[in-house]
Parts: sequence; C-alpha cells; structure tokens
Amino acid sequence: MARGLDLLLSAVLLAGLYATMAYGLGLIYGVLRIVNLNHGGMIMAGAYMGWLLHSRLGIDPYLSLPLVAAVSFGFGVLLYRTLVMHLPRGAAGGVQSLLLLFGVWLVLRNAAYLMFTGNDQVIQTEYANKAVMVLGTSQSLNRLVVFGIAAVTLLGLHLLLTRTYVGKAIRAVAQNADSCTLVGIHVERIYMLTFGIGTALAGIAGLLGGTIFAFNPTFGAVELLKCFVIVVLGGLGSALGTAAAALVLAAVEVFAILLIPAYLTAAVGFVLLVLVLIFRPGGFFGQRVLG
Amino acid sequence: MDQRFRRIALAAPVLLLLLPNSSWGQPGGGKTSDKKLPDKILIGATLPLTGAESRIGGFYKEGYDLAFEEANRAGGLQVGGKRIPVALQLLDDTTTQATAVQLADRLINVDKVHFLLGTYSTTLVQAQSGMAEQNRIPYVNGGGAATEIYQQKYKYLFGLLAPVELLADTMMRWIDVQQKAGKLPKPATIAVVWENTSHGKDFRKGVAAYVKGRASDYKIVLDESFELNAKDFSALLNAVKASKADILLADVHLPDYITMQRQYVTAGMCHKVLSYGARGSEKQAAEALGQKNVSYILSAVWWNAQLGSKGLTKKFVDLFQAKYHRMPEWYQALGYETARVLFTAIEQAGSVDREAVRAKLAAMNIETILPGGKLSFPADKGQQAHYPFVVQQNTPDGKSPIVFPADVANAPGVAPNPDCKG
Repeated sequence: MARGLDLLLSAVLLAGLYATMAYGLGLIYGVLRIVNLNHGGMIMAGAYMGWLLHSRLGIDPYLSLPLVAAVSFGFGVLLYRTLVMHLPRGAAGGVQSLLLLFGVWLVLRNAAYLMFTGNDQVIQTEYANKAVMVLGTSQSLNRLVVFGIAAVTLLGLHLLLTRTYVGKAIRAVAQNADSCTLVGIHVERIYMLTFGIGTALAGIAGLLGGTIFAFNPTFGAVELLKCFVIVVLGGLGSALGTAAAALVLAAVEVFAILLIPAYLTAAVGFVLLVLVLIFRPGGFFGQRVLG
Repeated sequence: MDQRFRRIALAAPVLLLLLPNSSWGQPGGGKTSDKKLPDKILIGATLPLTGAESRIGGFYKEGYDLAFEEANRAGGLQVGGKRIPVALQLLDDTTTQATAVQLADRLINVDKVHFLLGTYSTTLVQAQSGMAEQNRIPYVNGGGAATEIYQQKYKYLFGLLAPVELLADTMMRWIDVQQKAGKLPKPATIAVVWENTSHGKDFRKGVAAYVKGRASDYKIVLDESFELNAKDFSALLNAVKASKADILLADVHLPDYITMQRQYVTAGMCHKVLSYGARGSEKQAAEALGQKNVSYILSAVWWNAQLGSKGLTKKFVDLFQAKYHRMPEWYQALGYETARVLFTAIEQAGSVDREAVRAKLAAMNIETILPGGKLSFPADKGQQAHYPFVVQQNTPDGKSPIVFPADVANAPGVAPNPDCKG
C-alpha cells in the first residue's frame, strides 16, 4: 500500500514536468501546423539559462523563471520573424519547417558545446537535496515546487486561452485562419505570439528539468520524444488533455517497474504511443476542431 | 489526430538517432606504419570529451597528456638505438558507440597512426576493439573492464582494468569482514541494482557468485537493472525501499551515481552499507550533492593515490601534482599507465612494427603503479589484466581512505552507516 502511494506520488510529480514540456509543442502545432523540432533545443537552452543565472549571478532558479520565460519568448518571436514566417504554411511547408527547426536545434546544441563543453551540469541550490514528508512518504522539495509551477503554468495557459482576447484569437486562428482575417484578427501577429509562447514554455520546462536532473547539450532530445508521446496521447489543442496525457505517461513509466525490468520502462511510453495511434488515433482528449 | 503529426511523431525517434552529438571535428595528420623507424611515432586515441562521460574522458586525457609529456621530455621513446618523439592524435568520440568506431577507422586508415590507445567506458571500448582487431593494430585500453570484451579472445586487444567481477568480490569480502565482526546482521539482505551493460552484468555476477553457497550469511532480496544515463530513478529506488535490504550495492557510472544518490537522499533512504561500485569518491559528486550526502559511501577502485609513497606510484603522483596542482584519481592513473604500458612495449620491441609490439604486450610482465605492483595480460583471460582492487570509504571530512585489503588499508572503515536512524 505504502509502495503504491509512493509510486503514485512519484508519477504525479513527474507528470507536472512532462506536461510543462509538452504544452509548447502542442500549442505551436495546434495553431501554426508546424512541428517545432527546436523544442528540444529550447528545453536545453532553458536549463542552461537557469544554471548560468544561478551559478554566475546567484539568482535562485525559481526566481529566474520570469526572466528565462521572457528571453525564451523573445527568442521565439525572433525565430518566427526571421525564419519561420517565411515558410509555406500547412502541409506544403511541412518538410521545410522540420528541416529548418532541426537545423536551429543543431546550432543551439553546438553553441552549447562551445560555450559550456559537454560536461554534465546541475543547478545546485541549498535546498536541492531537501525532502519533505507528503502522506507519510519522503518527497524531494524540488519536485514538489516543480509540480506546483507546472500546475500554475497549466492554469495560466488555460486562462489565457479561454479568458483573454489574445487567447480567444489564438483558438480562433487554430480553427480557421482565413475567417479570422475577415473579422479583423491580425493572424500573422497571433502566429508570432503563439510561437513565442510555445518557445517560452519550452524554456520554462528546461529550467524546471534542470533543477531536478543533470543536463548537458544533449538535454532535450529524450524530452522531445516524450513530448510527442504526450501530445499524441492528449490530442492537439487541449491543455487539460496534455496534463492528463502527461500523467498517463508518467504513471505508465513509474508503475511499469512492477511488471518489467527498470531498464525497459523508458520504452513503455513509446509502446503506448504506437498503441494509441493504432486504436485511438485522435488521442484521448483531442478536440475535433484541431484534428 | 492530424495524419501528418502522427507520421512525424513516429519518425521523430529515427530523426533523433541521426542527430550528431558532437561538436565540430578536429584536423588529422600522421604517417604510415612500416618497419623503418619514423621521425615521429603517432599514437591514435579517442576519448569521450563531450557527452555523458565527458568529465571522465577529460580525466583520461590528463593521464595521456602527462605520459606523452614525460616521454617527450626525455627526447621521446628509445627505439632501435635512438630517441623518437611520440605524438598523440586524440579525437572526441562524444560518448557514442557509432562515433567511436568511425573515428577509430579514421585514425587507422586516414591518419595512419602506428598504434591505438583506448577510449573510456565498456560500451565504447567494446565497439572499438573489433575495429582494431580487423586492422591488426595493437589497442591498449584502460577504460573497458567488462569481461565480455575480452572473451572474444582478440589478439590485438589489451586491457588494464581488472574485471568488474573482482570489484564486486572485493567489496563483498569487506562486507564479510564487517559481518564477522558483528557489525552487520546475519543473514544480511542485499539489494543489487546494476546498469544494463556488460559492466553491470559483471558486477551482478560478482555479487551473486560471492553470495552463492553463503545462504546463511547473505540473501539477495532485489536484483534489478536500469538503463545507462537514465534521468529518473524514483521507481527503481522505490523498489529498493520496498525490498527493505540492509545493504545496497549499485553499479553505476558517474552521471548516474550523482543523479541516483540525489534521489536516494531526497527519498529519505539510508542503508547500513551503500556502494555505487567504482564510483563514490569523486570530488564533483561531493560538490553536487554536499559532503554530508556522500559520507560513508564505499567504492572499490582500480587505483588510489594512497597506495604508495615510493617508486612508480610516487613518481606519477608527483608528476601529476606538478602539472595539475591536485591529487590524481584512478581515472588519470589508468590513462597514464595505459600510455606508459604501450610506450614500454614499443621500446621493448625496438621498432614500430605492430606484430613485434603486440608480441611484447602479450609477454609483458612489468612493474606498475596499479595494486599488486606487477602487470601482465594473461592470455587465458583474453589479455585483460588481473590484480586486486582497493576499497575506499568517504568520510565526513571529505577524505576517502583505503579500508580494504588490510595490508594497504589506512583506516578501519565504518559499518553500519552511523547516519542511518533506527
């Protein structure tokens, strides 16, 4: 019983991080129909930004979140204005956007090698090894904070998309960009904002991941694969669906140890991906408007 | 779900496999190998200077650099009656098998190096050793310990790391001493967790072999493997916790040690005896985790600077300290000794003829800085060196004295871990 509870808490806490990683990828694809392969690169960049701000300037990684989010947003906007907006839209631009953003990821990765070498880094705070008791089990303080931030981010994103003019415009553009132009929505600006928000979410996820795990310039690759699994499971265009899918993936990975050797648990998520694509190709929580 | 996204989601893993891990390459150069004496002896090597094992790769590089510097300070290697400078052509294998093999091929067939020194970590050495064998070029490594590498009975492969099975055996012998002294329960329950590589399998085999036939003394209550360079060990540690073992013996590489120990500490776990195999005393682990959180961890290693204050060991430690202004760890010692062994074989052969040097390596029996003091590559062990390990234990003051075997120990060792409550 205690073991089951411990595993469940581990899964829930891990799901928070997974969901934060996946929001941005799903949002950008849902609106722009672009698979942002540079999402992995921005996760890596977010971790390094947090590490730099902490190790050089002594800023607590959680306090540096707004700054990392702002820089990532700015980078996303710049990337959109200089490169992405010039690509053909929809299916016609599929391959070009994949290659372009894959190239940006390579540049970011090699830049990280040049600046920081390939050594593993950790964001070492005073509370990095602190634990608190939750329902009688010892849990990492860092993981609890990461989960809290992930929940707040989810709520913020949900409110942004449902309660604000910009959010409603984003959803409208996702449904029908041509009609939005007719009613006066500046579609290009919405695309730019969406790309910026998605990139900022990747930066935030990277910073949160960096507070829990060691990272190097390869950080983000495995995480991107998990994002794909989550977005496919959750369906496109649903923030709550993304969160639920993240919980499913985390739970499957964590509980799999009861049935299979630990070294195989990482593969379980991808088996799940294949099964969902075969039996429920719309995902568990996807919205038809974006499907 | 959009058809295109689905296709991309499935294709992404393939695309990611194509993603290079490396930074940009390095220029090559070199000479062909023949029986005439060259102006310069060119030795090729790759090391994981980036990627997961980059830190350790850097340590091995320090050992290599020191050995080459020492040889060239004397005017080079004494070959065929004259001194010939020796140069290292070192490339970054990025901690990936495919790159390690590709670069070994380049060193042999493009750069035309005379001999090869090995890279670090079992998986990479294993991948490169076949390439060396195909090209009949002596390959001396100090970074591959798994017996599986040497079971192939390659003629050109020579390994300085004693088998991991011996490591596990030495660790168990120390535990046995503590148990016999009444410091550990009888029977003691053991959780064994090991990385899913031939390195980890050897470790597991070593523990299992020791426990076999000692059922009244030890019981393995958990035997679980994990993926190398994993990010999250919470489920694995949960299984360890559920096993209620007295002793946790893990076999991990450095990045996994730091990640796992951090999660171990925050999960509030504590065992009477805790070991991460050969890892435990590394400075960067203490920096990342805090000294308090690595105290009393045991490690069994291939070398320790406290082994000797005279002869070759002292010479190496002095040279290292003069160049790097700190004490060497076993990684640098193995790097240095690996290069020195190859140099010795070249000098003994009196030529750069690969067959002659291979024969000298096969027949080698020289003084060494490694425990036991003598180094050879027994043919019946696949030319893998065999010598005793030393067990060291982290103390709260940041030191790691040798606690076993008794003849070289400079501290008694502590068991059970006094930090464990209850």
